Amino acid sequence: MSPSRPLRGLAGFLLVAGGVLVALRVLHVGVPLIFPGTRPGPFSVASLEEARGRLGFAPLVPAYRPATLGAGPPSLTVTLGPHPTFLAVWRGAHSLSLTQRRGGPAPSHPPTSQALGGVADSRWWREGPANHLVLRRGEFWVTVVTDLPARDLRRIADTLGPYSAGGPGPARAGLRAPPSG
Amino acid sequence: MIPAAWYAPLPSFLWQVALHSAIAGVVLYGWARRLRLRSGRSKRHLLALLLVLPLLTAAIPGRTSLEFRERRAWLDSGRLLAIPLVAGVRVSHVVLLVGLTMVALTLWQEVLPALRRSGARGDDAPEPLARLARGLPGWERCAVTLRRADALLLATGGWPWRPRVIVSRGALARLSDDELAMALRHEHAHWQQGRWARSHALFAVRLLQCYSPVALWTFREYCLEVEIECDAAAVAGRDARPLTRALLAVYESTDRRDVAARAALRRRADVLLGDDRLDDDALPVATIAAAAATLVAILPWLV
Repeated sequence: MSPSRPLRGLAGFLLVAGGVLVALRVLHVGVPLIFPGTRPGPFSVASLEEARGRLGFAPLVPAYRPATLGAGPPSLTVTLGPHPTFLAVWRGAHSLSLTQRRGGPAPSHPPTSQALGGVADSRWWREGPANHLVLRRGEFWVTVVTDLPARDLRRIADTLGPYSAGGPGPARAGLRAPPSG
Repeated sequence: MIPAAWYAPLPSFLWQVALHSAIAGVVLYGWARRLRLRSGRSKRHLLALLLVLPLLTAAIPGRTSLEFRERRAWLDSGRLLAIPLVAGVRVSHVVLLVGLTMVALTLWQEVLPALRRSGARGDDAPEPLARLARGLPGWERCAVTLRRADALLLATGGWPWRPRVIVSRGALARLSDDELAMALRHEHAHWQQGRWARSHALFAVRLLQCYSPVALWTFREYCLEVEIECDAAAVAGRDARPLTRALLAVYESTDRRDVAARAALRRRADVLLGDDRLDDDALPVATIAAAAATLVAILPWLV
């Protein structure tokens, strides 16, 4: 190395830094292959049973789902960290997304939000065509976003129930043949 | 999974500092080994960089979201922290344990001795020694304290407007006049050319990272480099043997079990004896600046 070169020694630094970066990337990609539980997600899951297995709690799903949400099954997503979260999205002529998170701070809501009549621990507001509803259910925060009419929010909140594989739970039936509203 | 509290703003920041410090430490250590970097200004710059840089890169906001960690980050350390070990213990538990151990070590080995040193009282030193110390430039108002201890101790404390030299009875008894004079010159060098301010600023930065083993090691290496620099300043244009003899006397009086202290003294003696030389210009400032800029660009992508 010539002492006159203003950046002498930098090539060695870049070489070492590049090597360390490659090693870190190998860890980033390799660790979840060996220990699948180390990845926080989000994961797409095929069924509520699988979602329950991954999350460690039963997802809350509304029994009331109008036919305009479509006949197909919802897309189900699970995130394990930092707070275990379940997301179900129905898309048809109308859409409905339901997020259920265990623990953590309350989901943000505008100061103009108000309690939904007859529904405990709720905040409701409208933003463009979408109705938003935040609910507290025990240790869970539930957020509903839908372009269904506002009157449907209360029905959704009233019929929210935990998925059960054995019993005639609302979600189990809903996944196979959504009842009309 | 690791606890959700890990992703709260403060724990997340503290972990990011430790993570960036560890990764930058590996890169800079590997680079220094490759260059066979000797003691000197370049090495001090790299060590200071390693202490300061992680505090900046870890503070860059917007990187803790799941979206960033899963889709954009080059490394999500959450995956490593969540690796299961035995009986429900994960890597994150080990990291926590190491962090707590480092805090205890910092209190025991650094904070408490510093408090004891600053609060220690002693007798007035013999007049010739006080005259010798106050004859050094800028030390006209220096307080010279004699500690009633048989251990071989010569250290400085106090503040820039009122420096203090602490000498033990053991040092007075076992060091010759020229060895004492050179040891005083070494202590005086700690107060010259901004070394006191830089060392104390970096000590504050290191205390912010009191849970990080990398910061602990880095600051100790930095202190050793400053000692070597002050040795060089003390012997500049003079005979290096009295200071080397003083160092060897301290070495022999140091407990054999204190391997780190003895190794540091040996290295200082090696540099003074010319077995290991100083190289202040091993790396151009532009190279160090480019390396720092590269780390600033890389580290935020590791979360």
